[in-house]
Amino acid sequence: MAKQFGVGDEAIRGLNDPERYPFPPDQKAALLFADAMTRGGGEVPDDLFDELRRHFSEPQIVEIACVVGTFNYFNRFNNAFRMDITLTDTEVVVRRVEQAIEGAPRDALDACERVVEILAQGRRYLRVGIYRRAEETFVRAAYRGPEAPRQSFRLGEGNAGGTGITKVVDDVSNDPLARAGLAATRSELVVPIRAGSAVLGVIDVESDREAAFGEEDRALVERVAAALVPVFRDDPLTP
Amino acid sequence: MGRLNRLSPEQASAEVRELFRSFLAERGNVPNMFRTVAHRPEILTTMLAHFRAVMGPGTVPVPFKEMLAVRVSRLNDCDY
Repeated sequence: MAKQFGVGDEAIRGLNDPERYPFPPDQKAALLFADAMTRGGGEVPDDLFDELRRHFSEPQIVEIACVVGTFNYFNRFNNAFRMDITLTDTEVVVRRVEQAIEGAPRDALDACERVVEILAQGRRYLRVGIYRRAEETFVRAAYRGPEAPRQSFRLGEGNAGGTGITKVVDDVSNDPLARAGLAATRSELVVPIRAGSAVLGVIDVESDREAAFGEEDRALVERVAAALVPVFRDDPLTP
Repeated sequence: MGRLNRLSPEQASAEVRELFRSFLAERGNVPNMFRTVAHRPEILTTMLAHFRAVMGPGTVPVPFKEMLAVRVSRLNDCDY
């Protein structure tokens, strides 16, 4: 969610260790206050509180403490009930993808970047990759998630690229064609981007859970693939 | 699946359904937590009002409040 509000990737990683990451002094004070308030019984040392006061008014301090308190409440509620992660509604994902493509009408790589971001964020896939066909090879155009060992594969190699049909692999260890580059990948969904019988590219989605891809995700990624067809067809690199 | 049932919009009261709809429009989803709290509509109603008052525009920038929420959730091992 923070990302949707424009917080950069690096700052989000920095949130793993706010003590060390070079946040501006006001942000650092508030983050360390959040840590103290969250850990144990919420004892906040005087020096830390004095630092918070140097940067924030009392209304602001109340607001910061309410954010920290609310999320402690929500986190504990969710943890106690082993709440599943909430995924973005597929209609909303499709709408965002269509808007993103409209925003990058003549730049296939830019469109792919936007699309993998929306898919990875909204559906919490382990990895999303879009591959573009260049003659007899599929070359990666954009991805989110861990770096895979390979950036391209040949036509006819692996799933979907050669067959032109969607493939759902519930357990990659049982599928000799699954490209399962990542050790953590347990299931995979591969959807061709096709105009008529011509395969222009492939969307590859991976999960660290077995049989993670049901009808809903399959239909979603197929709609995303259809939305990408004009982008790929108009792209000068497409054969 | 979580330990408790989540209410779908069809199962929820008209008032809760309206809350779900507004959340979908605002954030693109209805968090599973809110669908669970929907078992107690009075609590859900005030919870959402509180959530919006806390996380919406106020005296501290909204993106920074989202960062605080991420930090707290990480400390609590909660995948927010």
